[in-house]
Amino acid sequence: MTLPAAAFALETLRVLAWPGYADPDLVKIFEQRTGSKVEVSLIDSDDVLWQRISQNQAGDFDVFAVNTAELQRYISADLVTPIDTTSLPNLARQLPRFRDLTAIRGITRGDKYFAIPYTYAEMGLIYDRAQFKEPPDSVAVLWDPRFRGKVLAYNGGTHNFSLAALSLGHKTPFQIDSKTWPAAAQRLIDLRRNVLGFYTRPEESVHLFRKHSAALLFANYGSQQLQLLKSAGVDVGYVIPKEGALAWLDCWVITRGVHNIKLAQAWIDFLLEAAPSQALVSRQGLANTTSPSPFHNANDRLIWLEPVENVDRRDVLWQRIMSGDRVRKVLAP
Amino acid sequence: MTARFGLAFRLGLLLALVGVLAAGVTGFYAYQASRALLVQSAKNELLTSTVVLSRRIVTYRQEISRNLQVLATHPITAQVLEKPDPALANQLATLFDVMLEANSNYFQIRLISADEGGIERVRIDRDGKRRLRITGDDLQEKGHYPYVFDSLKLPAGVTYMSRFEINHEHGAHSGEGQPTVILATPVVTTRGRTLGVVVINIDLNGFFALLGSDLPKGFEIFFANNDGDYLVHPDSAKTFGFDKGRHILMQDEFPATRDLVDGPLSHVMVEAHDGRYANAPVVATFIGRKTQIKSDESGVFLGLAQPLEAVLEQADQLGVVTLQIVTGLSLICILLAAVVARAVTRPINAMSAAVRKFSDQGYFDNLPLQRGDEIGELARGFHQMQNQISRQMTELQQHQQELEHLSQHDMLTGLPNRRMFQDRLEHALARARRSGESVALLFIDLDNFKEINDSLGHDAGDAVLKVVASRLETETREVDTVARLGGDEFIVLLDNPAHQEHIAGIAQKLLDRLRAGIPFQEHALHVGASIGISQYPTDGDTATAILATADRAMYAAKAAGRNGFCFASVTKGEAT
Repeated sequence: MTLPAAAFALETLRVLAWPGYADPDLVKIFEQRTGSKVEVSLIDSDDVLWQRISQNQAGDFDVFAVNTAELQRYISADLVTPIDTTSLPNLARQLPRFRDLTAIRGITRGDKYFAIPYTYAEMGLIYDRAQFKEPPDSVAVLWDPRFRGKVLAYNGGTHNFSLAALSLGHKTPFQIDSKTWPAAAQRLIDLRRNVLGFYTRPEESVHLFRKHSAALLFANYGSQQLQLLKSAGVDVGYVIPKEGALAWLDCWVITRGVHNIKLAQAWIDFLLEAAPSQALVSRQGLANTTSPSPFHNANDRLIWLEPVENVDRRDVLWQRIMSGDRVRKVLAP
Repeated sequence: MTARFGLAFRLGLLLALVGVLAAGVTGFYAYQASRALLVQSAKNELLTSTVVLSRRIVTYRQEISRNLQVLATHPITAQVLEKPDPALANQLATLFDVMLEANSNYFQIRLISADEGGIERVRIDRDGKRRLRITGDDLQEKGHYPYVFDSLKLPAGVTYMSRFEINHEHGAHSGEGQPTVILATPVVTTRGRTLGVVVINIDLNGFFALLGSDLPKGFEIFFANNDGDYLVHPDSAKTFGFDKGRHILMQDEFPATRDLVDGPLSHVMVEAHDGRYANAPVVATFIGRKTQIKSDESGVFLGLAQPLEAVLEQADQLGVVTLQIVTGLSLICILLAAVVARAVTRPINAMSAAVRKFSDQGYFDNLPLQRGDEIGELARGFHQMQNQISRQMTELQQHQQELEHLSQHDMLTGLPNRRMFQDRLEHALARARRSGESVALLFIDLDNFKEINDSLGHDAGDAVLKVVASRLETETREVDTVARLGGDEFIVLLDNPAHQEHIAGIAQKLLDRLRAGIPFQEHALHVGASIGISQYPTDGDTATAILATADRAMYAAKAAGRNGFCFASVTKGEAT
């Protein structure tokens, strides 16, 4: 979409984004092209994002970036506005898996589209090539006793219960029903008994992996950890297990308080162009939605994060598991 | 102006100013230098304290290591791990309990198995004031924690230290949610098999509170991990920021410590004046220490801060003392300046008094002629000037007297001239009027004088006049006045003559005396004289009248045939 430079003269676009989503050089190109002025504010956590959008009924910003799981509460709170996909010609540039918006849970509500996929990262498995003849193909490898004390997992309840559900063959890892809780808890206790340890930060995982010559790593931070390990000189491979990989998908959305919806649409459409898309890969190590990811195959199954049935319960149970409790105490009320 | 701010005052002021300034400047720089030294020495002291503090931490850690060894090498410990026996476990639990009781900064003491996911075999927790023995289902599997899996890999006798963390282990009683560091050591059999680990959880805040309680008031301890994340800070909200997903770094609060964290320095000293320390600036030292034992915590930073005020307190005392010295010196300077100014100006004042006296009295008094300095020189100059002036004054008076004499006497004969005669006549008349006495005038005119003058020249005439004058003087009394009125006219004033006959006798005597020859060269000159006599009060009241009367009487005598005298009263009678 090419617009005359004066189309949005004197208009201001208020953008709330994560670091790396709206770099100054890209912003400048957009400003020159549209004649508008872009004000970028940055956030670094989901909580801060929610706070800044909701505090003034979304009146302070025109567009922001949010993952599909988080998006749900914004839609429910009526803080975002539906997007007319016909106004975004660059949607045609996106990969097939992102083009069909109805196939991505959480983007539609009723018959309306609320978000445009922008970037994503999946939680695959990183393995030591020296210790695997064949790349692992299932999450079950995390429980494989042959690798006892050689596995590193993430210290986080929400994702770990989803992982446990996936490994148990559940199709809906974000919705654990009452009958499944004991099995999921036991599954994570078994994981605990098989791992070397649990990490919280990417650099911590790299440190442990190298120090203890680990064989396998559940990559909560995906390609970021892959790159860290590779640059640390470790010969590692990366694989999306056949059960699929949990993945977060960040989308651009337009607020209910948008001043100029056409300018907001132009911003989203612009970011789907080649240059901004390439910047995500090269600068942030993140995948974009217009070209195949360098980190996995097009056929790999990605399971976009969704709100879970009960965050608090998952956290409480995970704390008990992490602390070393056995299943009876973990499941105690 | 000069009276109000005299030389003494100005000189004194100048000397005093110089003195006070010198004392002040010296004091100021002495204070500055001493203050810098004091502050530096305080900083050095602080550094020493920090190093001592770090040694205490090491000593404390060594003590924990010894305790761990005592427990790990106790025969029961290995037995409990090899085969569960409640009685032995109870014995070990008692040992743990005693040790926990003795060490108030221990949160937990545990024996953890290498098997069964790292199940706890014996565990004593601190729970407030109580100590709890944890048993049964409450015992947890800890094999996935570094303090277990790392320690299991160590040889016997070596201590493992965890990172400094908030303990998130559920059910840890007092230790749960608290800053903790965990020390552990493996339990190794004599055959070299590692059965498990003995673990002690340390209450970081408790330990540092204990450490801080020995420090002087106002001292604050900082403790940070290898990245600079605060672990201990006077403001507890700044500690363990990384546990909440953010980094609160020492090098952000004290930028100078960046060289300690990233650079080669082993210690830094900082003065903090802003942020938290805006109201109460501190001076602080930070030292870095590499971890000497097996640990993922590769190093730590220890800082000790002291209020700058306390450091400067000594300097302030020094400042007060310096100020006192400067004030004292200044006072002495002012006194000295006054004394010196007086000493210098007193002779000058004396001189000026002497000069004033000179103008009043005509001579100098008390000049300090004996002094060897400039003042003495000046005095001698004045003295010389005085002598010169006196001499010149004397000469001047002499000249004046001579002039006075010249104006009243006849140059040729030395007799009073007409002017002086007039004066004397006036005086005599005035006296006579008061006392009722009489005065007589004898007006003498030489006969034949013109002929002598014409025939023998003026020298002859002058010689005649001189002789006449001399003869007249010798023939009259001291009190009488002989004067030359001009030409060949003389006059004699007789003061209070007795009576007319007596006057006549004098006149006759004069005539006789004058008639004698006057030698001039080889000649004997002869002159005669005619005398007119007038008297007060009978012939006139005033000088003019009486003189005119005498003049007329002289002419009468001349007319009567020269060489004679004539009384005015007679001619008057004739005239009348």
